[in-house]
Amino acid sequence: MRSTIARFAMASLLVGAGMALAAEPQEWLERMNKALTTRNYVGVFTHVRGTRAETMRIIHRVRGRDVSERLLSLDGSGNEFIREGDELTCYYPDKRSVLVERRAPDGPLLGALPAIDDGSTLLYEIQGGERQRLLGRTTRLVSLNPRDEYRYGYRLWIDEQTSMPLKTQLCDKSGAVIEQILFSSIDLPERIPDSMFKPLVDASEYRWLRADRALVSNASPALWEAMRLPPGFRMTTRSSQAMPGSKEPVEHLVFTDGIASVSVFVEPRKPDTKPSEGPARWGSSSAFSTVVDDHQVTAIGEVPPNTVEFIANQVKATSKATQGLGLAPAPRRK
Amino acid sequence: MTEECPSSERHGERDSQLSAMFDGELTAAECELLARRLSRDEALRAQWSRFALIGAALRSERGVILHERVAWRVQSAIAQEPSYGDASGAEGTNANTPRVPAQATPGASQSAQSPRWMRFARPAFGAGIAAGVAAVSILWLRTQEGPETMLAAAPASESITLTPEPASITVAQTTTPAVANEPAIGGTGEPERYSTPAPSSQASFAPPAHLANYVVAHSEYSGPLARRMALLGIVSNEVQPEAADAPRSEPAEKKPATGVRGAP
Repeated sequence: MRSTIARFAMASLLVGAGMALAAEPQEWLERMNKALTTRNYVGVFTHVRGTRAETMRIIHRVRGRDVSERLLSLDGSGNEFIREGDELTCYYPDKRSVLVERRAPDGPLLGALPAIDDGSTLLYEIQGGERQRLLGRTTRLVSLNPRDEYRYGYRLWIDEQTSMPLKTQLCDKSGAVIEQILFSSIDLPERIPDSMFKPLVDASEYRWLRADRALVSNASPALWEAMRLPPGFRMTTRSSQAMPGSKEPVEHLVFTDGIASVSVFVEPRKPDTKPSEGPARWGSSSAFSTVVDDHQVTAIGEVPPNTVEFIANQVKATSKATQGLGLAPAPRRK
Repeated sequence: MTEECPSSERHGERDSQLSAMFDGELTAAECELLARRLSRDEALRAQWSRFALIGAALRSERGVILHERVAWRVQSAIAQEPSYGDASGAEGTNANTPRVPAQATPGASQSAQSPRWMRFARPAFGAGIAAGVAAVSILWLRTQEGPETMLAAAPASESITLTPEPASITVAQTTTPAVANEPAIGGTGEPERYSTPAPSSQASFAPPAHLANYVVAHSEYSGPLARRMALLGIVSNEVQPEAADAPRSEPAEKKPATGVRGAP
């Protein structure tokens, strides 16, 4: 702990100098984020994680305020994820199932999204910006190296002309690559037709699971809180929302360090199922579930497993919650 | 402007150029010239896709180790491509006599190819990503405002070369759940990488779906890059409930995921 404090103190002292050096790579990161969120693109990439390699296609379209996105596996599960406006549809051909959910129209508050700021340099060493040739293109290599073990780092080869990341590596603190994405083709068309957002599968015979993920409250009362957080993490938002598969509103707390974010979901434990406890992993997302006061608590985020475990184990009911547990009637339950 | 030349010498030169382009050792002007050739020459394009993915494998600091079944697929794919080396090449035994793709050097002995080829031939399993798993094409970055970009001279319709869509998808919708796990892909008859049985009960579907809901809900609060990574997990169906799968090694992870213990 002392060494962590010392590291942060040292980082604080160096931040002035560091900021000057990090200005350019940080600018590239901002350009990349802007390109990823505001441009139309159609790309094919190979996603390599551990022993798995899978080719995927991504289609991303921005039309006014509407964002559509389609991500599909070309040689693996055949799963597809299509988001059009507020509707998310996940096709699972091997499970013959389709999950559809309509999220709250307002979406997350802008302030709740991670944003690289001066504090980020305390938590990550942002380096690079130098030119590097990759796949015949001129890129800028930018590295975000985590200063502790509570977050992952990134190495990004950002195309100089378009600011699109042609290659992305997710790394642990030691720099070992956990997973990587390498684009083999990217097209940046001016227009993308609606037909490109149709699924490959004929899912009419599939089992359809539909749900509206309505926002019950964007500022729910503080029924649950994390007593302590890993260095640099802060809570940015809390909400209460109806989610598919959950009869009662789920409390959703969001924590971020400016680059990585972790969500904590709290919902009453279902009496007919075993509680979920322990770690899980979904792609680069780590999850950790535990039970607190007969509630299922799950922390999930693109962070190392120890971070979600730390946060999940720190979630406690506030005094309001303990009162509420006995008094508040469940919305759809009698 | 040079037209297509079938001579092996010319092809050898282009192979070398491809390799150099991939390594970032080619000048911008040469890149552009080669890109124009790529847009006209299907064989060369196929060649490029291999380079791209071999390079991807090579550039991975830890190397790319393929899943055993994927490797099997890869070997099959390589075996169907005498141009790229036989199956024993996957063992690395033929690394000293790398072959040159036939489409690039028809009828010519190429044992004296440049050492570049050896660099690409060595990680034969990595190469397999290119030949078997992936389906990809040339790097094609076309911007609407960049007519001067290296590949802008070619028509857009040729910009992306992909393999046919996976046959497994159409198979999956016409087969019963019990056999939907093992569709052939790409008509090659090799087993698919499905590792989870297709469940018919709500209970067995529920835990991953539930976690998927969380991932999706969480992703809205992630930065664009992290969000992409998170959603990839959903599309890859990578949730790792140990109980449902045979044990899998995850050398990249210090701590093996144990999965959420929940409903059966």
